[in-house]
Amino acid sequence: MNRSPRALPGRRALLDRPAPPNRPAPPGPVGVLGALGVVWLVLPLIPLLLWGATDRWSLRAPLPQDWGTDGWEQALRDGALAAAGRSLLLGAAVAAIAVPLGLAAGRVLAWGLTGSPRRLLTILLAPLLLPPVGIAMGLDVVILRIGVPAPVAVTAVLVLFALPYTTAVAATGYTRVTPQWHDQARALGASPRQAHRWVVRPAMRRSLLLATGLAFLVGWSDYAVTLLLGGGRTLTLPILLGASAAGTGNENTTAALALMTVLLPATGLTLTLAIRRLAATLSLRHAGAT
Amino acid sequence: MRAPTRPALRAAVPAAPAGPAVAVSLVVAGTGMGAVLLTSVGLLPLFGQPELTAAGWRQVAADLGPGVVESLRLALASTALAVVMGLLLALVLLDAAVLAPRRAALLRSALVAVLLVPHLVGASAMGLLLEDRGVAARTLGSGLGTGLGIGPGDWPALVAGDVPTAVVLTFAWKESAFIALVVVAALAPGHSARRDAARSLGAGTVAWWRWGVAPAALPSALAGGLVAMVFTLGNYEVAWLLGRAAPEPLPVLSVRLFRSLDLLDRPAAAAAVLTTAGLALTAVALTLLLLPRLVGPLLGDLHTSPAPRGRR
Repeated sequence: MNRSPRALPGRRALLDRPAPPNRPAPPGPVGVLGALGVVWLVLPLIPLLLWGATDRWSLRAPLPQDWGTDGWEQALRDGALAAAGRSLLLGAAVAAIAVPLGLAAGRVLAWGLTGSPRRLLTILLAPLLLPPVGIAMGLDVVILRIGVPAPVAVTAVLVLFALPYTTAVAATGYTRVTPQWHDQARALGASPRQAHRWVVRPAMRRSLLLATGLAFLVGWSDYAVTLLLGGGRTLTLPILLGASAAGTGNENTTAALALMTVLLPATGLTLTLAIRRLAATLSLRHAGAT
Repeated sequence: MRAPTRPALRAAVPAAPAGPAVAVSLVVAGTGMGAVLLTSVGLLPLFGQPELTAAGWRQVAADLGPGVVESLRLALASTALAVVMGLLLALVLLDAAVLAPRRAALLRSALVAVLLVPHLVGASAMGLLLEDRGVAARTLGSGLGTGLGIGPGDWPALVAGDVPTAVVLTFAWKESAFIALVVVAALAPGHSARRDAARSLGAGTVAWWRWGVAPAALPSALAGGLVAMVFTLGNYEVAWLLGRAAPEPLPVLSVRLFRSLDLLDRPAAAAAVLTTAGLALTAVALTLLLLPRLVGPLLGDLHTSPAPRGRR
């Protein structure tokens, strides 16, 4: 029976009573709600999987009649590979700029190098309050007047929206890797550069990976900014997906494009994690052998 | 006089490494929003002479009211649902990490997967699920052999209907994963010990959630909800893809005017997008005024950094 704290017995009775076994315990409501939670999270993705493998599905049938890859073939004919390449470049450019900037700002925040951390954080987080379409609309007029190429402007806006994430991740990492790590390396004779390279940077590797992944995703998955500043000429994967999803009768192509948009970064993430795990295993073996 | 060297400059201004990030934020955001402001009052026309005028605001005035109402309707409904679902998912994940680590790993993977799905993909998937030709209509419409199928034309307008079901569900689905992970990050340290203490005091699961976890989780859940609501207010693609044609939420209205063939619609588009930004800023200011406890979860505790000021 569940009881509120007000109904709990007195302190002595509690101290005398043996503590109830905590582990293992039957999941109970945790198990049921956990299963419902997984359903809530996974259910909306099921149509992508079904439609992505469908050639023909009549309206009154509960499941597709013909399974196949028509949607994927149509997506490739629509230029999905070239669009994915452009998205990849955009994501990489955003990460290449936003990660070093975020790391530097995160270090200043976490190591207390500024007297007004809240002001700095407010400036860096402020873009999250602004509508991306607003900044894109404003910059559109400016880049037309001063002749900045659209991809440069798209990258600049997306860097702005990636910075809060890279800064927050870096700040969290640098809170763990305190300046004392650096100082101890210096005390052992390392130059500032060596201390950073051999002590701080390896300890920050996980944060660096996470920040890179998040910044890449900001560029990879953007739709509105690319649409407005690219003027429909910068055909990335989300732009193709948006055009397809707005139409009718092309559900399998839409599903294929959506799956490409999700699966390519997911594959990259899985490969990165696998390589890291392999490298860790090899380095452990090497340490054991020596 | 010799100019200061780079290391000397760094020593003199320890916060200098944050300079480039601050510069990017101020220059890009400032230029963008400044240009929008000037465009809205006619001072930065695409062609012709600048002229201070409120014509853009007048042109869009009739649509702004319904746009604000529609934007708030979508944002408030989806945020409320996202906070409830995010809180529940977080409570389950925190306890599952103690009771059933494998299930917790599955749930955590699902949360991270949803977080990584772009909003456009989420909206496309929700459309394929809920529209009148969608998977739900096909599956339930067939009756699954029970003879209780829903007839053609009887499927409710979940996409682009008067009740914005698909839009709200898409935002709530995406943001519930975000809020759950925010709450878990805030509560995970020491959760197992606190749970053991509560159980040794006789608290069951529901009492533990009600009295032990929910009060501690609420500030981070609401802070996550505020971030989600601001994002929802400024998002274009979900409402554009799944929302009804009229009235349009502000981002959809502004993008339609911006992409209009008539370039004279640009000031009206700028006025609409400025209203969107004003709405988001007002929502944040009001929420923080009413709930000042959210400032901590939003800005973190970086002011209590481990190193004394002025290091390196």
